[in-house]
Amino acid sequence: MTRAQTDIDAETSEAAIAWLVRLQGETVTEGDWLAFDAWLTASPTHAQAYDDALAFDQGLDLDARFAEAAPAGAPLSTPLAANVVPLRPARRVWMWSAGAAIAAAFVAGAVLVPSKGLIGGRETTYVTGVGERRAIALEDGSRIDMNAASRVTVRFERHARRIKMDDGQVFFDVAKDSSRPFLIAAGDTQVRVVGTQFDVRRRDGQVAVNVQRGLVEVRPNLASGATPFRLKPGQGLSHHEGRAADAKLQAVAVEEIAGWRQGRLIYRDQPLSQIAGDMNRLFPRPVKLGDAEVANMRLSGVLIVDEQDAMVDRLSHLLPVKTTTTEDAIVIRAR
Amino acid sequence: MARLYGEKRANLVRVFAARLRSVSEAEDLIQDLFLKVQALGEVEVEGDGSALLFRMANNLMLDRLRSQTRASARDGGWRSLQGVVLGDQQVADIPSAEEVVAGRQRLQLMMAAVDTLPPQVARAFKLHKLDGLSHAETAAAMGVSRSSVEKHVSAALKALMAKLS
Repeated sequence: MTRAQTDIDAETSEAAIAWLVRLQGETVTEGDWLAFDAWLTASPTHAQAYDDALAFDQGLDLDARFAEAAPAGAPLSTPLAANVVPLRPARRVWMWSAGAAIAAAFVAGAVLVPSKGLIGGRETTYVTGVGERRAIALEDGSRIDMNAASRVTVRFERHARRIKMDDGQVFFDVAKDSSRPFLIAAGDTQVRVVGTQFDVRRRDGQVAVNVQRGLVEVRPNLASGATPFRLKPGQGLSHHEGRAADAKLQAVAVEEIAGWRQGRLIYRDQPLSQIAGDMNRLFPRPVKLGDAEVANMRLSGVLIVDEQDAMVDRLSHLLPVKTTTTEDAIVIRAR
Repeated sequence: MARLYGEKRANLVRVFAARLRSVSEAEDLIQDLFLKVQALGEVEVEGDGSALLFRMANNLMLDRLRSQTRASARDGGWRSLQGVVLGDQQVADIPSAEEVVAGRQRLQLMMAAVDTLPPQVARAFKLHKLDGLSHAETAAAMGVSRSSVEKHVSAALKALMAKLS
């Protein structure tokens, strides 16, 4: 940490801190830059004071970062409830907890609907709303992490653990229990595992399973009785519901799987329509595509989940689009 | 334009270090800006070319966020995104036990100092700095304006700097 120079007066030091805080904000404009540049140029002590404040502030970040670097493997077992905000230094990593906290302000909590299952066993339905995310510890020790606007029903039977997935995206961390396989039905697809970590996404008629650890057996179009795919870590399978023939096995980067859990939307050559869909599950104000041309634009890259306006703004830097924002919608058009 | 770049370089680094939370990352970014400026050659700039420089650097930063993520994904980690380069120091992926302990102690001192601040100031500081909320999110969580958040966070930093540095 840099010791503040004694020849910097309190007023200058205060102005330097105010500038630092302003520049750390999410809306730094050209005007801010011009004013800041003028302030720095006015006196060499201004720059000195600013540099001291910057060094001090980054020292705080560094300490927080060290303090955080506790036991290895913590992230997967960390509870992710919206009201529990872990102390972490790297701001981008917690965009989600921030987003979730904000979301909680306008979304009712997840709905638990306990009901009698068909074959005995307790059945519980978990639902997340727009912009909401939820981590759930299941009674068998498995954990599921639900993305926004998702719905799953969980039923534990004597010889099986059954999950029914409606529209949604869920990351599963399945506790090992070889006597009770973990079975997920996502539309026409069945996923079968014993104990492992993987992500299932069922959205817009497309089902995708991506494996992070362990072995996962996937049967797209269960009715067809075709032999199942056995996915290893770093493999993913996706297909359109009802069209098992187009099921595609792909290599996926293990650390990209379920990037949404860390507040990152990761795309590899995906259409803008999908990105708009994902954003619409995060924010109540809809993003609309103004013409067919934009709907078909494709993006490879990572969108950090933070404020909707900022995300849309970044999109307009990544793609040749322009956006129009009104009270109740954001419209994206080709530029 | 290249001359203007030379004049403004240090101050541009100061701007982007605040946002990237790292001076070395900002230096790196401004290096890229230079290549862009050179590629431009001699151009007629309307008004203040300094605003254009800022815009170019800002766009580079957005591009960088994207490509860094992709590059580090290939490397099997998220190092650059997770802000491992902090305060001009390259921090090892896993800090040593002593570093962790020392960092924790300094953090405890910081937290103790934060607790002596006026409640609104402490809350804004914690939400923004420790919980990672943006200014707008902090403002929404506290039901105050963005400029109040900036004022609170500034007040907290000022008090902490006086106490701890």
